[in-house]
Amino acid sequence: MPGADKAIIMITRNEQRIRAFLFYSSVAIFITGLPLILSFALGYKFDRRAFKFTRTGLLVLKTQPPGANIFLNETLFPAKTPATVTELLPGNYTVRLELEGHYPWINQAGISAGKVTFLEKIILFPLRPDIKQINSETLSTFWADEERGAIYYVNPEDGGIYKPDSEGRRSERVAESVPLDPPADKWKISPDREIVLYFNSRKIGITNISQQHKLFCRLPFVIDYPYKPIIDAYWHSDSYHLIIIGLRNIAVMEADSRSEPVILLSLAKKNTPSFYDTRTDTLYFLDTQRAEDGNLYDNLYKLDLNAKLSPFQELMRLRQSDEKRERED
Amino acid sequence: MKNGNAKTKRYLEIIPACISWGILIFLACLSIFRPILSAILIIIFEFYWNIRTIYLTTLLVLAYKKLSNEKNRDWLSDCVGLAPKKDWAKVYHLIIFPVYKEGLKILRPSLKSLADCQYPKEKMIVVMAFEERSSDSRSNAAILEEEFKSGFFGYISTFHPDGIPGESRTKGANATWAAKQAKEFLDKRSIAYEDILISCFDADTCVDKQYFACLTYHFLTSSRPHQASYQPMPVYNNNIWYAPAFARLVETSGSFCQMIESMRLEKFVTFSSHSMSFKTLVAINYWPVNMISDDSVVYWKAFLYYKGDYRVVPLYITVSMDAAYSTSIFKTVVVQYKQKRRWAWGVENFPFLVEGLIHDKKIPLAKKIRRSFNLLESHISWAVWAMIIMLITPLPILFGGAFFSQTSIGYNLPRIGGLLLNFALGTSLIWIVLSMTILPKRPPDVKWFKYIMMVIEWALAPVIILILGSTPALDAQTRLALGKYMQFYSTEKVYKNIPEEKNG
Repeated sequence: MPGADKAIIMITRNEQRIRAFLFYSSVAIFITGLPLILSFALGYKFDRRAFKFTRTGLLVLKTQPPGANIFLNETLFPAKTPATVTELLPGNYTVRLELEGHYPWINQAGISAGKVTFLEKIILFPLRPDIKQINSETLSTFWADEERGAIYYVNPEDGGIYKPDSEGRRSERVAESVPLDPPADKWKISPDREIVLYFNSRKIGITNISQQHKLFCRLPFVIDYPYKPIIDAYWHSDSYHLIIIGLRNIAVMEADSRSEPVILLSLAKKNTPSFYDTRTDTLYFLDTQRAEDGNLYDNLYKLDLNAKLSPFQELMRLRQSDEKRERED
Repeated sequence: MKNGNAKTKRYLEIIPACISWGILIFLACLSIFRPILSAILIIIFEFYWNIRTIYLTTLLVLAYKKLSNEKNRDWLSDCVGLAPKKDWAKVYHLIIFPVYKEGLKILRPSLKSLADCQYPKEKMIVVMAFEERSSDSRSNAAILEEEFKSGFFGYISTFHPDGIPGESRTKGANATWAAKQAKEFLDKRSIAYEDILISCFDADTCVDKQYFACLTYHFLTSSRPHQASYQPMPVYNNNIWYAPAFARLVETSGSFCQMIESMRLEKFVTFSSHSMSFKTLVAINYWPVNMISDDSVVYWKAFLYYKGDYRVVPLYITVSMDAAYSTSIFKTVVVQYKQKRRWAWGVENFPFLVEGLIHDKKIPLAKKIRRSFNLLESHISWAVWAMIIMLITPLPILFGGAFFSQTSIGYNLPRIGGLLLNFALGTSLIWIVLSMTILPKRPPDVKWFKYIMMVIEWALAPVIILILGSTPALDAQTRLALGKYMQFYSTEKVYKNIPEEKNG
């Protein structure tokens, strides 16, 4: 055998030795590491005192705000929320969460072997709530535009509508309103977020909080509602029509100082509760009806006011002309 | 008796797909009906795969070190130094390039790399093996003969006729035809077969200048040199700077896998371009003429012929080929997919080997079991590992419901999986560094920031693993099991983006 061949064989042997070492090391790591990984995954913990494996449970803690100290049975846990407490022996634990400047949170948590207990919706409330006055004018009432996250309030002295900034440093006068007597019970913003409807039991006021509004009449204005008293009022999705729930009727009218209401339905039930879904233009309400047995029963009704589904505009026009004709007659 | 053999072969063809699909379906069902048990098996598999990845990456580093050490070695001087015990000058090199649709742009650089070799050309016989059915084969052959014929001891153009009984349209059939033609050439000159080394190269193979010296040295210094194939390290450097990221990543990974295999000699099998003794090739009746994976089947033929005493000697020298890509990302994915499926069609070696081992009486039973198991295991792993990691792992969480998510293992499964995956990604940093070092010199027309792109593109690895990891292998195994045998498909290699002067 030539010398070169011997050299190659030696190199190959050395490589194969290194490879064998790597291979058997890998096998050893696999054999020793696998039980550790699996026991961790399944929640097993080696109990040194009892010298046996015990199945444990997990506790997952999340708080708002985060960073609270965790006490389990009065023992401080090293991590802060959010945290997962592993290797807990099964049983009941008193969990106390403490965050400086906040009320502590205390509750019982039951830990089961091989299971996870989730405590994830914990809110820690501050000891001194951070209250700020945000109005800078006298106010009689306020309402919110949830969609835009804006707050408005009304100064009863001048009827001005103000929009404060979130820190309360400044209030911007955004609109005028004609004050009602007695003051308006409810304020409702139109779906296009440009006009506001406010009303008491007798009168309806309309004003704009944006100069972009598409109404043809001068704003603000107040109308004396003929079919008193008003129980509730809603905006139609077109931000132009109003749905008025009266004591014994349901009427619609246009947001126009010259408009006259049209009664769509008469109600047997007084003060009927109602809900208007602007997304579908559907009015839900209760009314009473006499059944075959002679008794009165409350029923839930649905009135579709979607202009696309029903000739709503046409109905308005016809009813108005009919009423005018009746009055003229 | 023949009928019995055919039945056995069909059963053996079905086994790989059955096992692969069985593993995947079993784990998927287990995830639905026994999520805890499935999660345990997934964790075991992921841990095993991590350790295996680290182990294989270490082998890659060792192989890379060898490749670097031997990069600038003067093999020709080493050959000369073997005299007088070994006469290197006796050795002839027969080089066959089976050509199908490849044009002059691909063939010229391959022949030029032979002409540029630091090895006496009077010891080299080149055979350009064209397919007769290819329309421009005659004209291309004439052009190449004109350019290269005078540069070598022998230069033969052969034209493999279509439709020879018993043959399929495969590269092996063409190479066999060419080798038989070359045999006549050698017989006329009375050159002994034991002095001839045959290299069968893909048409786009460009060899290192020292390749034949390195091959000769290993041939002369190996014990039982005729009972060995000689496998260089394939790299896809010909057009790597111009290939899209997707193709580049796949081809680099392919090179690395081959380097890893070179360190596992007991499993090492020939792949793509390689060399062997002509004496052995004639003895085993050449390459198979009806199988696609001729490059590996030829090894198993020799293995069976020598009763298990046949091996592959790794040559730590590169042969460079073209990265497969096309004109768009989608087409590149398709081209790569088809190429990987063709490689995975090597699963046809399993029935071939086992059938051969069944009829063999001399190979020790332990060796029979080990080699067939290794072959089967490598194809099964190829077909299932990416599927398990990418698709099966989330199933227990998806189907386990509230009960599973409230168990310790349900809570820990994604965390342990994530940790192990991050650990595996850590090893990919080594792959990134090595991939940069095996690159050829940057062409002047390629901007320097391509280096940065080549690092960033490794972020595509998870997508590529999913598309080209297991799917082509599973596809190939399923086709074999269903008896839908593949035909040879010449991989499309577009020279897009490469300046015209480089195209030849």
